[in-house]
Amino acid sequence: MIFGIKEKSIILTNFDVLFAIATNIHVRLKTGFVLQVAVQGTVSLQCSNVRRGFHRAALLRLASDSKSDTSVPPPSYHEVHTAGESSSSSAQGESSEDAQPNTSFQDQSGEHGEDYETEEQLQARILTAALEFVPQHGWTVEAIAAAAETLGLSSASTGMFNNGAGDLVLHFVAQCNAQLAETLAEQNNQVQLGQAEAKKTAEFLKDAVETRLRMLIPYIDTWPQAMSILLLPHNIPDSLKHLSTMVDDIWYYAGDRSTDVNWYTRRAALTGIYNTTELVMVQDSSPDFEETWAFLDNRIKDVVNMANTAKQVQATGEAVVQGLMGAAITLKNLTGMNQRR
Amino acid sequence: MHRFVRPQLMLRDSKQPLLPRAGHLCTNHKSVVSSVRGYVVLPPTSDEEEKAMLHRMMRVDHAGEYGANRIYAGQMAVLGRTQISPLIQEMWDQEKQHLRKFNEILAENRVRPTLLLPLWNIAGFALGAGSALLGKEGAMACTVAVEESISEHYNSQIRTLMEKDPEKYTELLQLIKEFRDDEMEHHDTGLEHDAESVPGYQLMKAIIQVGCKAAIYISERL
Repeated sequence: MIFGIKEKSIILTNFDVLFAIATNIHVRLKTGFVLQVAVQGTVSLQCSNVRRGFHRAALLRLASDSKSDTSVPPPSYHEVHTAGESSSSSAQGESSEDAQPNTSFQDQSGEHGEDYETEEQLQARILTAALEFVPQHGWTVEAIAAAAETLGLSSASTGMFNNGAGDLVLHFVAQCNAQLAETLAEQNNQVQLGQAEAKKTAEFLKDAVETRLRMLIPYIDTWPQAMSILLLPHNIPDSLKHLSTMVDDIWYYAGDRSTDVNWYTRRAALTGIYNTTELVMVQDSSPDFEETWAFLDNRIKDVVNMANTAKQVQATGEAVVQGLMGAAITLKNLTGMNQRR
Repeated sequence: MHRFVRPQLMLRDSKQPLLPRAGHLCTNHKSVVSSVRGYVVLPPTSDEEEKAMLHRMMRVDHAGEYGANRIYAGQMAVLGRTQISPLIQEMWDQEKQHLRKFNEILAENRVRPTLLLPLWNIAGFALGAGSALLGKEGAMACTVAVEESISEHYNSQIRTLMEKDPEKYTELLQLIKEFRDDEMEHHDTGLEHDAESVPGYQLMKAIIQVGCKAAIYISERL
């Protein structure tokens, strides 16, 4: 729409130049009309117009900039930006699932190639950039505002995020889960191609949980705040969904293909392990969180022990039942009840 | 049962996340075997609603086959040493095959099994054993009632899928049709073997079918 009016204004000015229309009022009216439309487009107070204005700004930004991260992120997050950004742009706030070849890779090149960005992609970019400011501002709307400013947008663009800090935390969690899923898939690939040894279950679980928890290390000081945000009632459904997807991913790549009640018991156990280890981690002050990993190790050993004990109990129970049946048949034989009449 | 597999070799484009094949597939069952695709039977979809619907369907079908399995187990426990036992065993083996197929689908497509499986375990066995205590006719009547419910359920699923998009769901439709035909065969076998001659046949059939409908309803949601 704007382009059409621009063209019209060009035609009008050409006419003015060519025919030198004497009526200044006429010229002023036409240019005034163009200005009025432009003004309407950007200064209007309606949300959608404001958003469109931000999109224009974003487009300009895309045209001029190469990458949006101005400050240097921690090295482990560089991949996270690409992975998390692309994955969270395909499904807002949700960690990406497994088999779907999602539009993420197109979005990656689409950003540069087509100069068009959806609102979700823009939100994802802002939130990813906001992670830089979390150590400084905490998990708050201020961090998002600071990030928006580094991206060249107004700090009022935090209005895009209805949930404020909750959006930021959920975005981060989704990003971490996506990165974890990618790492696990890579490892799986390696094992299948024979380039790596398959790990035992306990070790696999330990490594997976450790990998995931290590992603919290840059933000560990403010993580209690994030955890409390995730526990807010309106955030609980989303945070539970992220947690359950992550646990399902870990067990799937660990090789769990159960389709009975074990599906539930295993995931419940791992959820418990993850949550307790996370809690230990936020108050751990040992070098490189050694105590946390030791705690994790012990919990996993506990679960494995319990599983083994359960198996033993079941086997024993079956043996006992067989013994009793044998005893019953013997009794029936002795009393002659077994003979057919 | 505890099933833990090491993912097997499958060469894939490294960009795509890998879905390992279940290593426990036995090779002598006649169901459709997945080749180098990452999915089994269910078409891949990125639409959340459609995925939820497909998962729900598979969940309830899996629960149904599991329950049917347990019903036959109960019947065999009581009538295992009578003349009718080879017949029941044969029908049971077919159900086991169906269950294996659904286990495969659930595992590969990462569908959550229903929470009520332990309940269907006990209820199915109790129903099978209870009906078998009424004799061979009772067992056959139970079979007729259950298989009729299951066939009706599969038919409605087929209708739903046909309404949506027959081409997309060809494989799934083929599978459900095949299983529905098997269940109808069991139903007819039951009728052939004097199911209707059990006293209180109509009442028994009605009660069992109401129970099956309730089970299907709950399993879809839980």
